[in-house]
Amino acid sequence: MLIVGSGPGGATTAALLAEAGVDVLILEEGPWVDQGAVAPFSLEQMERQYRSGGVTVALGLPSIAYTEGACAGGGSEVNSGLYWRPPLDVFERWRRDFAIADLDLDEIGQIADEVETALDVSYVPGEPTPQSQVLSRGAAAVGWRHGEIPRWMRYSQGGGRTGQRRSMTLTYLPRAVAAGARLAVGCRVSRLERNGPRAGTAHVTSDTGASSTVEFRDVFVCGGAIQTPALLQRSGLRRNIGMSLAVHPTVKLAARFGDAINVVDDVPVHQVKEFAPDLSFGGSASHPGLLALALLDHWREFRPALRDWERLSVYYAAITSEGRGRVVALPGLRDPLVTYWLTGRDRRLLASGLSRLALLLLEAGADEVYPSFRGAPTVRRRRDLADMAARFSVAKASVMTVHLCSTVPIGQHPACGADSFGRVHGTENVYVNDSSLLPTAPGVNPQASVMAFAVRNARRYVESR
Amino acid sequence: MRHVISPVFVVAPFAERLLIRDLPHLPSDRRAAAVDVVVARVAGLPSVTRAGALLIGIVHRLLLVLPATAPVSDALARVPLPFLGDYPRLVRSLAYASIWERWPDTPVSP
Repeated sequence: MLIVGSGPGGATTAALLAEAGVDVLILEEGPWVDQGAVAPFSLEQMERQYRSGGVTVALGLPSIAYTEGACAGGGSEVNSGLYWRPPLDVFERWRRDFAIADLDLDEIGQIADEVETALDVSYVPGEPTPQSQVLSRGAAAVGWRHGEIPRWMRYSQGGGRTGQRRSMTLTYLPRAVAAGARLAVGCRVSRLERNGPRAGTAHVTSDTGASSTVEFRDVFVCGGAIQTPALLQRSGLRRNIGMSLAVHPTVKLAARFGDAINVVDDVPVHQVKEFAPDLSFGGSASHPGLLALALLDHWREFRPALRDWERLSVYYAAITSEGRGRVVALPGLRDPLVTYWLTGRDRRLLASGLSRLALLLLEAGADEVYPSFRGAPTVRRRRDLADMAARFSVAKASVMTVHLCSTVPIGQHPACGADSFGRVHGTENVYVNDSSLLPTAPGVNPQASVMAFAVRNARRYVESR
Repeated sequence: MRHVISPVFVVAPFAERLLIRDLPHLPSDRRAAAVDVVVARVAGLPSVTRAGALLIGIVHRLLLVLPATAPVSDALARVPLPFLGDYPRLVRSLAYASIWERWPDTPVSP
């Protein structure tokens, strides 16, 4: 068994298959980086653990910046670590709308229990960071539903907020290796060679440039929502592959408070869900470099705020988009073309989200709010919100996302790219088991949903061997 | 030809000029380090984005030899098309992020 990619989908698949006695080889394009070896959310981390140094973009109007983990453990090594249990109402909608056979919600719930135990999903034992409490305080002031989101984190003894994130390199990958799986890092699979419906050879390039091939019986492609469809397309598989990229677009702002609130190596654990699933609010990493980015869109006016970076933090409004994007592998080019187009409803929702987020932060006690769009005004009081709304357009905003999915949707519906257990249409032994399978963006942090599908599909594979 | 479209040739002079204009009091060693980051990141962009960035970068690079460069460059930065207006923003984003991550005490204005 060949598994391409070692993120939450690939690592989980590898562990379950290896523990069931399958001979597993995992090929990971990125390097192995020990947890804690680089500062979280730093440029060094982006250089070492993100694809293209974190500078990746889906072209459109506006273009949407996105990030992909590119290291052993994939996105689990670099994301916020916030755990949203698979939303069963969304799974039920997926089951119905995409005709996913045998999708048992009780089974998904049981898998979630297992994953939560394996990842030590837990709440902060002490006080969350001040920038996180800002969200809670603001939401309470305006009467909006909010709460702390647990993380896959083993917190230190003694009740502090510090601890070790339970990413794939500390959980499912060691489990896979202990059960006999082999992991090779720095190995990029450029294409799968097929003979009719069966693939049997992977063409591999190492990070030193050496080329080789790997023979396999079956393959699980788990490279994430961008790389998985690109690899399938390069292998001649194109039916419903890469046509339906879904993301959670976000707009941001920075807010300045009277006291120091900035904890540079952590992210807020509170989220505001009053308008979910359409619209959610949360907080982002806020070291001074990222604050400079957040203030860049109206630098001339906003730049003095950076002197007080200890009192600043970055927050976001994220939407469940009805837009769609594409991932297209182009002949002769290493990387695919990625595009994404927001709908009119998406644009209105982002505008509404930014206004509501600014209101929430004023209610939380912010002295000044700096929205991230070109020509934005400084917001100091409620009556400034109308001016901000009047000046805003999505085309002027810095839109970004970290949640990418749905490029090989699972199900029996004619629009799906894989069957109800992840096998790619038109093939007998090519499976997908990562965020590509989620039929739409789930409206919450997606890792738990990705892992739930991965466990379910891996078990079905073992049962059917 | 390869030399002409390399990030060092295309991006570095533009990034340096941009930082001199935006942040005139930035120490030269910090400016040089930021330019290095920008060049390295542009070189590592995905294929399509890198090609587009270098193409637009050549336009901006050529503008450096013309009089009244800044207004033209600013006008290009406001064009709401992928790549064209995004290029100066990309360069600024990478440079500013690297400067204030490494040196949070960097003055924000003269």
